[in-house]
Amino acid sequence: MTNHHLVLLPILLPLTASAVALLLRRRPRVQAAWALCAMVTSLAFSLLLLLQVWRGQQAVVFQTGGWAAPWGISLVGDYLSVTLVVMSQIVLSMGILYALGSNDSVVKYPGFYPLFLTLATGLSGALLTGDLFNLFVFAELMVFSGTILTACSDDRYGTEAAFKYFYISLVGSTSLLLGVGCLYVSYGATNMASLASGIMADPQKPLVPLAIAFLMTTFMIKSAVVPFHFWQPDFHTAAPTPVHAVLSSVVVKLGLYGFMRMTSLLFLAQADTVRGILLVTGIIGVFYGGLGATGTYDAKRMLAYSTIGQIGFILVALGWGTPLAMMAAIVFAFNHSLIKSAMLMLAGTVASRARVKTAAFQAITGLGKYMPFTGLLFLIGGLALAGVPPTNGFISKLVLFRSGIEAEQYTALLLIGLASILTLVYIVRAFQAIWWQPPAPEALVKPAGDRLLAPALLIGTVLVLGLWPEPLIRLAEITAAWLGSPDGYIHAVLGG
Amino acid sequence: MELLTAVAVGALFGVAIFQLLRRNVVRSAIGLILLGNAVNLFLLSTGAYDGRAAAYAGELAQRSDALPQALVLTAIVISMGGLALAMAMLYIVSARYRTSDLDEITGLRY
Repeated sequence: MTNHHLVLLPILLPLTASAVALLLRRRPRVQAAWALCAMVTSLAFSLLLLLQVWRGQQAVVFQTGGWAAPWGISLVGDYLSVTLVVMSQIVLSMGILYALGSNDSVVKYPGFYPLFLTLATGLSGALLTGDLFNLFVFAELMVFSGTILTACSDDRYGTEAAFKYFYISLVGSTSLLLGVGCLYVSYGATNMASLASGIMADPQKPLVPLAIAFLMTTFMIKSAVVPFHFWQPDFHTAAPTPVHAVLSSVVVKLGLYGFMRMTSLLFLAQADTVRGILLVTGIIGVFYGGLGATGTYDAKRMLAYSTIGQIGFILVALGWGTPLAMMAAIVFAFNHSLIKSAMLMLAGTVASRARVKTAAFQAITGLGKYMPFTGLLFLIGGLALAGVPPTNGFISKLVLFRSGIEAEQYTALLLIGLASILTLVYIVRAFQAIWWQPPAPEALVKPAGDRLLAPALLIGTVLVLGLWPEPLIRLAEITAAWLGSPDGYIHAVLGG
Repeated sequence: MELLTAVAVGALFGVAIFQLLRRNVVRSAIGLILLGNAVNLFLLSTGAYDGRAAAYAGELAQRSDALPQALVLTAIVISMGGLALAMAMLYIVSARYRTSDLDEITGLRY
């Protein structure tokens, strides 16, 4: 096994583990332990891959089946992909760890862990592939797994929400296929490196604006960017807590990954137009998400709306598009995944102690009295979400605002500064409702709920990355520099 | 041939989007099928634009391109699986509400 094969492992390990987990369906405990082992091993290999990319200063490229680049499917582990894969695998591992200690009935279904692992496969594959059509295939795998996991959720309306999501994402996939078709007609390739060099040579072909529009629609649906956000709060709230933690933190980052590739690799000539749209939708998203989260009645739904807002911050950074802003976007995306998954798990823990399992504020008001440690974790996570030191949320806001000052985008800066106050408002409101108010007299608390190990580990990472952010900042800096020179990517894939 | 595929793709898209927006869940599922077929036909036509030569290849070869056919094959399989899943969920939802009218499926409305 040579070094190039390493890029296969984050995809292959969860996939084979999922097949094996299906065989273990009659032994639920063994199956769960197996899923956790497989996911952690996969995380270890993605870290190894990151180390290799870091050491070699070069993308790790694997040409599947030995076919040379424009014809075969290349798997490309460059700085951006590998960083995002590490981020998603951390959260996925923690999601499985949470599911192990969860009381939901959905985690006891024989299909739960296999589907969770195929979700991991789809996500890692979509991030690592260097081929647009292959991205569609992996994204579909991810959508199918996420839909089924939500459809069999404990929530009463899981199936309706999953149905709604499935419709909109099938339409999104159609749009991705149309985009691929437009690009294939114009440049005769679906390989991203080959397309990038073709578009660089001749950016004015008639179908290119159409392809940009189709790809943007797809990625906006994947990331729940504002005009296409309507499915997100329903779908994410109905999902089982471990799945919600994954969906709302890392799965929505796939669209952002697509935008990063579009503006820094594929459509360099049209990047300014794309960035303008991202900036505007980002600012709208920041306000919409903030106001939605402030006005909602359910803790999980509040966090789902908050995701729309936080994605908005990242879109604003992508819209500025300077190297510093790209770095800020990567740092923000990484930190937000950790914070948001931890917060969702904490909200799920609180909900699991309520009499009827729900995170609606009227059912969980005052329950915090019985869970002081959860309260401490929730407070730290909430402060991180709002961007208060010493958490990593502060670091991401700091880098974001600095990049805005450097780009001299003062209007946008003022707007997102105002909107980030909203974050503090809804976090404090939720904290107050759960931990400060007296419980209703008829409220009953279950003696045991979901375990706190996974969110505690994530909050620990949040604090560590807040106190010692240098490695992540350095990685993001190198990634942004790498994104600034698309020739590196093209040469790594096509050779020469 | 070119005109025929173009008209067919356009007509399929039109019908598909009209059906997709209907209130009846079964009709909107039919819209989903048609949408999948429309996009598959479009992908197929990228490979053999006039039925003989690849669109981008110019005078290089007088044969249709095999790659879009492989892509369409993959897309067909995926859309079939997706349709089966959509039908399964549709069955559960419509059995729970005893209706196929989307306006009466009110579980997510608060």
